[in-house]
Amino acid sequence: MSLAIEEATPATLAPIAPDRTARALRRLRWRLTVNTLRSLFHGSRLRLSMLIGCSLVFWIGLFVLFLGGFEFIGLNDEFFHSLFEYLFSMFFLSILVMLFFSSGIITYSGLFQSREGTYLLSMPATTDRVFAYKFFEGVGLSSWGFFLLGSPLMVAYGLTIHAPALFYAMFLVYLAMFVLLAGSLGAIAAIVVANVFPRRQRSVLALSVVALLGIGAALASRLWRTPGETLSADWLGNLQNRLAFCQHPLWPSRWMSAGLMAAAKGDWFRTGYYLMVLSAHAALAYLAAAAVARDLMFRGYNLIQGGRASRRRWGLQALDNLFHRVFFFLPRPIRLLLLKDLRTFRRDPGQWSQFFIFFGLLAFYFLNIPRLGYAVQSPSWRNLVSFLNLAVTALILSTFTSRFIFPLLSLEGRNFWVLGLLPVERSQILWGKFAFSVGISLGATEALVFLSDLMLEMSPLMIALHLAMVAVLCTGLSGISVGLGARLPNLRETDPSRIAVGFGGTLNLLVSLVFIFAVVTALAVPCHLYYLGVEHADSTRLALSNASFRFWLGSALAVSLCIGVVGTILPLRIGIKAFERMEF
Amino acid sequence: MIELLGATKRFGARCAVDRLDLEVRPGELFAFLGPNGAGKTTSIKMICGLLSPTSGEARVGGRPSSSPEARRLLGYVPDQPYLYDKLTGREFLRFVVEMHDIESRRAERRILELIETFEMGDFIDELCENYSQGMKQRVVFASALVHDPKALVVDEPLVGLDPRSARIVKDLFVSQARAGCAVLMSTHLLSIAEELADRIGIVDHGRMLAVGGLAELRERLQHEGPLEDLFLKLTDDRRAGAKPASNGVAP
Repeated sequence: MSLAIEEATPATLAPIAPDRTARALRRLRWRLTVNTLRSLFHGSRLRLSMLIGCSLVFWIGLFVLFLGGFEFIGLNDEFFHSLFEYLFSMFFLSILVMLFFSSGIITYSGLFQSREGTYLLSMPATTDRVFAYKFFEGVGLSSWGFFLLGSPLMVAYGLTIHAPALFYAMFLVYLAMFVLLAGSLGAIAAIVVANVFPRRQRSVLALSVVALLGIGAALASRLWRTPGETLSADWLGNLQNRLAFCQHPLWPSRWMSAGLMAAAKGDWFRTGYYLMVLSAHAALAYLAAAAVARDLMFRGYNLIQGGRASRRRWGLQALDNLFHRVFFFLPRPIRLLLLKDLRTFRRDPGQWSQFFIFFGLLAFYFLNIPRLGYAVQSPSWRNLVSFLNLAVTALILSTFTSRFIFPLLSLEGRNFWVLGLLPVERSQILWGKFAFSVGISLGATEALVFLSDLMLEMSPLMIALHLAMVAVLCTGLSGISVGLGARLPNLRETDPSRIAVGFGGTLNLLVSLVFIFAVVTALAVPCHLYYLGVEHADSTRLALSNASFRFWLGSALAVSLCIGVVGTILPLRIGIKAFERMEF
Repeated sequence: MIELLGATKRFGARCAVDRLDLEVRPGELFAFLGPNGAGKTTSIKMICGLLSPTSGEARVGGRPSSSPEARRLLGYVPDQPYLYDKLTGREFLRFVVEMHDIESRRAERRILELIETFEMGDFIDELCENYSQGMKQRVVFASALVHDPKALVVDEPLVGLDPRSARIVKDLFVSQARAGCAVLMSTHLLSIAEELADRIGIVDHGRMLAVGGLAELRERLQHEGPLEDLFLKLTDDRRAGAKPASNGVAP
């Protein structure tokens, strides 16, 4: 066999026709999709059925929610129908902004930061072809959630107003065009950011998010102060006036809402008109994105490659010293490991910014409780709201532990052997990660729930009860995430978000949700029945008297404590066992 | 075939490559040596069209290296190769030949040759996610050669290869060069350079310190020892701030 270069190969070659490379990239996508699906079907049945089951439950849940909501409001009423046009415009405007950001971020990392992007740029394809390949991948990744959210909404809407069959096909075309438009705008922004701010992409993102939150807060506050009695005709009229900005004829969201509502009524002329407006703009935006990519993508790639050079990281020695003092009771090697995790957390704005944004929004809402008038409502109502607030805090904490704590051990990846060789028992490493998780989450969640209870003017007993519950939830959620993280690690993946959305991460989130539901319900039910009894002693059969409340509360406390202990210890033990057996 | 003409690459204030001249002729095997951070990978990325020079030029086959025409002539094995986890080795090779628009029968023949050469028959139809480091490296080498490149650029060629695979790769470099291909390899393994290279370029702080055949370098530097001593002498002198030699070795 000879490896000699064939005679037929000329010294210089003509460029390859762009459609040939495009075809090769299309085939690559097809092959990757087929192989991924094949792996999925031949892999764990449990994983596949969980994936399909969860998606179905989510879709059906949303559908039932939307259908119930539409029927409750009474869409056939002309006034509510016109209000819904405003609300749809608002909904699609919010989706437009979210899709713009998510597809922009995904396209940015796909083009400029991924190894695949670099590899494809070394191939004989033009940059606009490479862009097209990565763009549609990015748009797909950023928009599947929109389809999952948008399709039950549209089906429920169509069923409520008895839309013709063609409406259901039409809304899919509308959604696709809308996604293409938002994705193209996001991609243009991504390439421009790479060229103008190659070393400040995170700052640009952070500033944009802050600006958006500011605009969102100003808008929410404006809507909140709509004059008139809630749900009265006067109030609804004023609300429409305040939402008028989203009905501007130049907003793509307006084309979406007007076109879809026309399709639902069977007005095909208007449906076709808005579809043409939307698709023409989507095509133009994609063409502009491809042209921008052709001229600026490679330049941006060059600038970003050079931008990684020298960012000095400061050690913040004082913080490290403080950490050693606070966690003095842990062995020093464990402290050092935790310090490493803490530094990673500190240096990754993706982690702490989400933590602060979500908990910050919750704090904002809790601070506004007096304005909502909840504090002057009946005790049973306030009690219900306080438990709901607690549950929301725990749910957000569970997304945080699933996204950041669960992948901690997986992220050790190829350096996993370092943990195996540490001069400490392996179980201590997991206990250390558990302490880290509890330490980070406990302070924030306790403060939030305390704030919520203060604003709701809850009794000291209930405040103490809620604070104890938060501690149980924090330790349980941390135990679940650390334990399952050690039991189901994904050592091949380096991206924590991908680890979090994998099988282990999804299972972790589901177990966390069941845990929260069990702990909160066990205590919320007797408390709610007691407060119902306080208000309607004669009319409610299930209401609890003072004596039976003490008994049921004590039992509920014991049950939720048991659930908390089992929820903490069991996953940790499973994780420790797996970690001790693990070969490096 | 491969040319850097006064190529400079700046990353902000830092100059990674400083007015570098380099030429690898058809049929030549050129070893590119230098300490960590010397600018080897940056130079290679300029040659492969992944980075554009701040000033100067990078050309392959007389074409700007960022042009698709130049990339058709080039086979590139990076220091951290990329493979699609969800493709088999054979599917990956097919993708590469499709990107290079090679006629399908000729492509299949070439793929079979490379499977045989790199002894990949046992695993080529498994998904790449199941490959060991050495298997991956062999597929990447095959992908760089599957379109019969006129210029082959390899960054750290022997990382992750077992002795048998390393032997195959070394033989392959020589056979490619003898068949008229310009081969540029960047390596830290001085013994490989000593064993295989027709010419050697030693780079440090982005500048070419010396270039020539091994005998030529020894003569210029008046140093009869192994390449390792010569390399250390040159780069240590540079670190110590010694003035450039006046014997033909570039400053």
